[in-house]
Amino acid sequence: MSNSELLSFDIVGIQECQQNRYPQLFVDSIFDVDPGKSARGLKNFTYNEWFFPAHFEGDPNVPGHIQIECLVQTFIMTFLSMEPYKGMKTNFVRINNANFKRKVIPGDRLEINATLDSFKRGIAKGSAESFVGNEIACSADFIITLPDVLENFKPSKK
Amino acid sequence: MTNVEKYNKAFMESFNIEEDKLKGLKYQDIVDWDSVGHMQLMAELEDEFEVELDIDDIVDFSSYEEGKNILLKYEVNIDS
Repeated sequence: MSNSELLSFDIVGIQECQQNRYPQLFVDSIFDVDPGKSARGLKNFTYNEWFFPAHFEGDPNVPGHIQIECLVQTFIMTFLSMEPYKGMKTNFVRINNANFKRKVIPGDRLEINATLDSFKRGIAKGSAESFVGNEIACSADFIITLPDVLENFKPSKK
Repeated sequence: MTNVEKYNKAFMESFNIEEDKLKGLKYQDIVDWDSVGHMQLMAELEDEFEVELDIDDIVDFSSYEEGKNILLKYEVNIDS
């Protein structure tokens, strides 16, 4: 797909594709989406985020599970951007090789690159990594399901 | 590797189960053979035997034994 054909989603468009909502929606925009292949995401953190006062007082930084959510919410846009799957609910199956390399703090702009390696019968496998500037923040591999698709392939009898 | 060895390997790798537990095994008999595990097994079998299973066959694939009958449709004879 050429650059001019890549898709972009603002916060309204993101919510049309995925079911995450405040306070669990952790991407501000999604861009350079090549459906079925890759996507890029952006999240700007300010001290107004609900978790900074609690994590931690005097040392506010983004909790690891929220960094993982930033990755996966970008990752799922690689397939939720495709019409048959738009708006579907997703579930985690596996998170592998999660690595955290840099503390993310108020004022940081997190950029995420996600790649879809395979997508078949409601199971998506791939990876994502995030950066603050040129510094890698975290990365992980994912297996995600679309339960509504998976339902169509379940054996009907025991 | 024989067809039965390939077939058993797909089950063992998908469900982390010993070979002597395969006979009589049915969908949802073990925790790992759930809807996600089922897709993992289908993918393993497709890779192993270089076939593409139809949706009806995936739905009908409800046991270790039934799977052998289904693969016969794809000219894969497990017990030969």
